[in-house]
Amino acid sequence: MRSVIFIVLGACALLALPHGLSFSQQEILVFLTINILLVSSYRLLTLTGEWSLAHVVIMGVGAYASALYSKELGVWVPVSILLGGATAALMAVLLSFPLFRMKGFYFLIGSFAAGEIIRLLWKRFRDPFGGPKGIKGIEPMPDFSIGIYDFDFFEPVSYYYLSGVVVAVCLWLLWRIERSPVGLTFHAVHWQDKLAEASGVNLRAYRTLAFAIASGFAGIGGGLMAHYVGTINPNSFDVDLMVYVLTWAIVGGTGTFYGPILGCVVLTVLNEIVLRELGFEQMRPLIYGLIMILSILFLPKGLESIVQHLATRRSEKGVKDRRAAE
Amino acid sequence: MTHFLDVDALTMRFGGLTAVDGLSLKVRHGEIHGLIGPNGAGKTTTFNMISGFYKPTSGEVRLRGEVISGLRMHEVARRGVVRTFQHSTLFAEMTVLENALVGTHMAFRPNIFAAIAGWDREDRRGAEARAREALEFFGLDHLKGELAGDLSHGHQRALGLAVAYASHPDVMLLDEPFTGMNPEETRGMMDLMRKLREDGITILIVEHDMQAIMGLCDTITCMSFGKFLAEGGPADIRNHPAVIEAYLGGARHVA
Amino acid sequence: MLELLAQTGLNAVYAASYISLIAVGLVLIFGVMGVINFAHGELYMAGAYTVVLMYTDFQVPFFLAVAMGLIFVGCLGLAMERALFRPLRDNPLGGLVASIGFLMILQAVAAMGFGVRMEHIAPVTQAVIEFSDRVRLPVARLYVIIAAVVLLTALWLFLKKTRFGWALRAAAQDPEAAALQGISIKQTARIAMFIGAGLAGIAGALTAPLVSVNPHMGHSVIITAFIVIIVGGVGSLEGAVVASVAYAIIHTFVTTFYDGVIADIVGLSLMLLVLIVKPTGLFGSADRA
Repeated sequence: MRSVIFIVLGACALLALPHGLSFSQQEILVFLTINILLVSSYRLLTLTGEWSLAHVVIMGVGAYASALYSKELGVWVPVSILLGGATAALMAVLLSFPLFRMKGFYFLIGSFAAGEIIRLLWKRFRDPFGGPKGIKGIEPMPDFSIGIYDFDFFEPVSYYYLSGVVVAVCLWLLWRIERSPVGLTFHAVHWQDKLAEASGVNLRAYRTLAFAIASGFAGIGGGLMAHYVGTINPNSFDVDLMVYVLTWAIVGGTGTFYGPILGCVVLTVLNEIVLRELGFEQMRPLIYGLIMILSILFLPKGLESIVQHLATRRSEKGVKDRRAAE
Repeated sequence: MTHFLDVDALTMRFGGLTAVDGLSLKVRHGEIHGLIGPNGAGKTTTFNMISGFYKPTSGEVRLRGEVISGLRMHEVARRGVVRTFQHSTLFAEMTVLENALVGTHMAFRPNIFAAIAGWDREDRRGAEARAREALEFFGLDHLKGELAGDLSHGHQRALGLAVAYASHPDVMLLDEPFTGMNPEETRGMMDLMRKLREDGITILIVEHDMQAIMGLCDTITCMSFGKFLAEGGPADIRNHPAVIEAYLGGARHVA
Repeated sequence: MLELLAQTGLNAVYAASYISLIAVGLVLIFGVMGVINFAHGELYMAGAYTVVLMYTDFQVPFFLAVAMGLIFVGCLGLAMERALFRPLRDNPLGGLVASIGFLMILQAVAAMGFGVRMEHIAPVTQAVIEFSDRVRLPVARLYVIIAAVVLLTALWLFLKKTRFGWALRAAAQDPEAAALQGISIKQTARIAMFIGAGLAGIAGALTAPLVSVNPHMGHSVIITAFIVIIVGGVGSLEGAVVASVAYAIIHTFVTTFYDGVIADIVGLSLMLLVLIVKPTGLFGSADRA
């Protein structure tokens, strides 16, 4: 019962949130929502113990695919976003053949190379990818009305509501997967792949499955972004954004479902709102870099470890209180 | 006639070194079969070939007449031949119950779409029941919430067996299960293996320490320098001149 | 046609020279520290900016400015060792992330100090060696080639002939055994970081008048260096040099006869191919994997 109240209150807060913000902050909010999906899907891949440097490019695969389906084939935008996700997942399955011959550091570098190749192909082939200038005039999400609210998708608030719902559904799916026997098997593959294999787990299939799911959701995120911004080009998905995703995951911590989300929200608020408002425009990468270094040095388990620490202290205190009452 | 588990002229070469040379042995259904030999005899290599960890250079392993050598480890496991590992190879960061649940992977194959939709409640309940059953079998049910890495050495060994047992194996391959155990733990472990045999599971044990498995095995195969040396019941093996020579020679070699 | 081939060959030799300076430093750092230094391209950038500051702004003689670049960037390497890699010794992913953080700091400092626009440096020398009408080698490029040959030979001699070099190689092969033999891991780490960073710094300093100097110039360089060290075998210095030469030849020729993007794709595909077929690289030994 209490959790229901919390969820309702949280949903109301998220609904009210954009109305207290400036226009540019509302736009940031849209990107933040999409980035939460990006980093949460990334965590699903890290469950199996592999760290990829191609995740942002895979998101780009979803963005390019969705933009092209709607533009060239006239697919209805909501459907094309889902198809974009499917295309990204398919790309991951294709990439898994060369990449999962490698592990650990070699997988990291191999995925980086694969991602750069994809980006260069976009750059090289003007038809259909538009070359270095990318794709312009991507179909916007069609406006609609649900009676009490008119969705106008040139307005960031409307798009925030839409992407918020899509991302919430995706997160719920990711959560269901992690909490299922499939998620348990991902963990098993990470911690002791040989023992998992001896228990009948097909390691290659499960690594590929995690890669494909993570990529599919990243692709949906890419589609959401493409139809909001309206233009995409190879540099929208460069290694700088990948570095940000990596940082969110590491500063937040990948031990829990909320860790990467926490990292993404805290760093985005810090980066976009605090530093920008305080006028540290030029120093932002510097401060960002410092935060990365400091957090890896002094908080190697991420922000989530602070939350866990507080939570255990509270529950211990609760137990003590109850004991005292008895 | 086809035997239950049939190892036929198994050979493994690493570069110029022949680790196992034309080894044959037959394991009957429902027995505890020991594979012994001095250090460096090629026991572990043989074990790794049977379990699918290595692909043999030549020769075959057959289960009920079906060739299983050269298959990958999970494919061998899916045919009912499940191995344990030396030392305490466990999912140390997961709970005892979760470890056993991974063991039920083959019996209750997870399906991602069913998992998302929530259609796998039956399977999840079944898997958990099986996992608890396996933990009870090895007397670990009171520890199911603990992290596997926090368990005592003896309990970790038992959990390793429980993970394998949870998958309903026909054959369990045990890799030096008595290493590092005190006499009392060893006795407890031997009792567990007899219980497994009563449960209808065929067991193949690879062991360096001859004394530990004398009282346990129905049949013992002894190998030395990669080759078959002798086979028979515990009494035959204990008194077999070639075996004594191999172990004494090995001891002298080690000393 | 023959002249075009000769000219392209000369270009390839020049490219091989500065690539191998950078890649050898990266391999040296990886070998001893066990960390892939993502900030290596920014060390190269720092070397170039040292020349911008000293040679263009303070009118220091060019070669003195280059030497300053080597020392300054070497010291940056020492600072990285002390502040980042030593505390994160047991955390390879942590070291990688920390080096990404350092990369962002260096880029931001360069952007704040010099602006994001490209810096133009007055040419050191306009002299050109003309082999024929269409086969020419600017002397500024010759400097880079000479520096690479001299420095890499010196490094090779240092590693093979001196006690320090022996300790460095021992530490790279097996840190624990090296520590047991009384080799100071800290000291070898410092030497490796100074040399590795310094090589990147001098590469940046020498090429500063030949390329467009900007805060993001390290990006393409680090990708090239990754390709080279993977193809050559992570941890193999000889492999890095050979792979640099091979990569430079392939890349330069494909650029000349097709275009630069195709050349990049070919380079990356080559790396992916090596990773698939022999992940330890063409010159790497299996046990370093």
